[in-house]
Amino acid sequence: MSISSREMPGIGRKYELDTDFGDKISLVQLESGGVQLYISSKNGESGSAELTLSEAVRIANILAGSVLKAEDEGVSMIFSSLSDLPIKLHSYTLGAKTDGKSIADLKIRTVTGATVVALSSSGESILNPSPSSRFREGDSVLVIGEEEQISRFAKKYL
Amino acid sequence: MMEGIALALLLCLGFALVSKRLNFPPVPMYMLAGIVIGVSGLNIVHQSDVSDFLTRLGLLFLLFTMGLELNPSEFSGKKGPFFFSGIVDLGVNMLIGFAASVLLGFPIYEAVVIAAAFYISSSAMAVSSLIENRKLAAPESDTILWVMVFEDIMLLFIIVAFSAASSDPVRVLINAALVIAFFFIVVRILNSKIKILLERDDNIPLLFTFTLVIAAAGISGLLGIPETLTAIALGSALSGTNPGSLEKHAKPFREVFLIVFFVFFGISIDLTSGFPVIPVVILAILAVASKLISSIAIGLYVHKNPYSGIEVWSETTARGEFSLAIALMYGTPLIAAIIAIIVLITSFTGGLMGRHSFRIKKFVLKMRLRFTLKRA
Repeated sequence: MSISSREMPGIGRKYELDTDFGDKISLVQLESGGVQLYISSKNGESGSAELTLSEAVRIANILAGSVLKAEDEGVSMIFSSLSDLPIKLHSYTLGAKTDGKSIADLKIRTVTGATVVALSSSGESILNPSPSSRFREGDSVLVIGEEEQISRFAKKYL
Repeated sequence: MMEGIALALLLCLGFALVSKRLNFPPVPMYMLAGIVIGVSGLNIVHQSDVSDFLTRLGLLFLLFTMGLELNPSEFSGKKGPFFFSGIVDLGVNMLIGFAASVLLGFPIYEAVVIAAAFYISSSAMAVSSLIENRKLAAPESDTILWVMVFEDIMLLFIIVAFSAASSDPVRVLINAALVIAFFFIVVRILNSKIKILLERDDNIPLLFTFTLVIAAAGISGLLGIPETLTAIALGSALSGTNPGSLEKHAKPFREVFLIVFFVFFGISIDLTSGFPVIPVVILAILAVASKLISSIAIGLYVHKNPYSGIEVWSETTARGEFSLAIALMYGTPLIAAIIAIIVLITSFTGGLMGRHSFRIKKFVLKMRLRFTLKRA
């Protein structure tokens, strides 16, 4: 795949994309706000479409897949600069298993790989709690890590 | 006075709706509307100080927004094909326009005015035709747009040349150079401040844009250089700040005042007494033909393909706003009428050609095939 882009004076910006399968896609962002999309396939057929800005955004989302997947009390994110690394954030309410223990006691990072990034204890929330912070039953924590690290955390401490 | 302008605008509104419906360039429609109610038609609406003022604003905003597209840093890196296309387009069309006008008996000065108007295509029509006829993916569309940019730069030189010729050339040239340098230096110094100002979301950017254009005209009055020149120069100097925002705020003024410009152009032209019909028709046909010659040369050189030339031809045949601007600024009433009719004919033909260029190319291909078969 190769992409090139250039200015079209009075019109906007043109992006040309040669796909690995030999087709050619041109996208023109119009100064007036919309987008024109041209496809010329390798067998000689060609087609075009004009999209409004919101239609273009919609299509971009479909093509990119969801970058932000929300689930109950958790969210997965993919950043374009770290596209091979899906990052998950999840919040949990702690039970009796971890009552009275600190992050250091539990060796959370060493054991699961996940990191506790926030702690809410008796109505007070802190970001980046220190390793000596102690959990009590009913506290909420926010944990960051990869999918497996998060599920290891849930299995071990809840 | 106002009732005349109201009637003209109302008629334009109707014609604009028709032109959208038929997918046709609106500029000739506005002129036709003007001709219908003006001197050559029903003679019910006349030019007035108010209409002249609105027309002048239309021209200023047109040239200011044109200047915004002229960012010197963008074409400083341009090479061979850009200059070749631009110079061929300039040389061929100016020369044919000038020679034809002289042969048809026009005096030298008037022949130069006709040649300049004959040369310069309508950027607005080319842009809207490329978008509406879905031609932006074609490599020729880039060539066409850059030819338009080259023509815009040439318009700047044409304005300088005409005003230098009409008065003290040295003083005009020095003043023009000083003003252009002044605009670029001031904008450079205030660049970040202007950018911040233009990003506000109250009415300040709108007021700022309007004030700039009027100020450009004011400065020109003080220094005795054309306001069209200062408007382009200021636009070009500001192209390094936030041209998108300036364009957005200048656009509504431009659109409305330009319509007044077109319709009153139609109103003012006199086709009734002693209008040289045959020379004008000859000029109009030549205007279409000479763009064919320059475009084929461009197609062959830039795209190594005569059919690309046909594509360039179909999009650059329409003359429009800039030709009328030249006619208004430098032409006698008769020359203005002649240029108006050339614009009318070429923009209708160009509009049709832009839409059917695919058929034209197919037709030429068929004829060529038949011709080679016959010879073989």
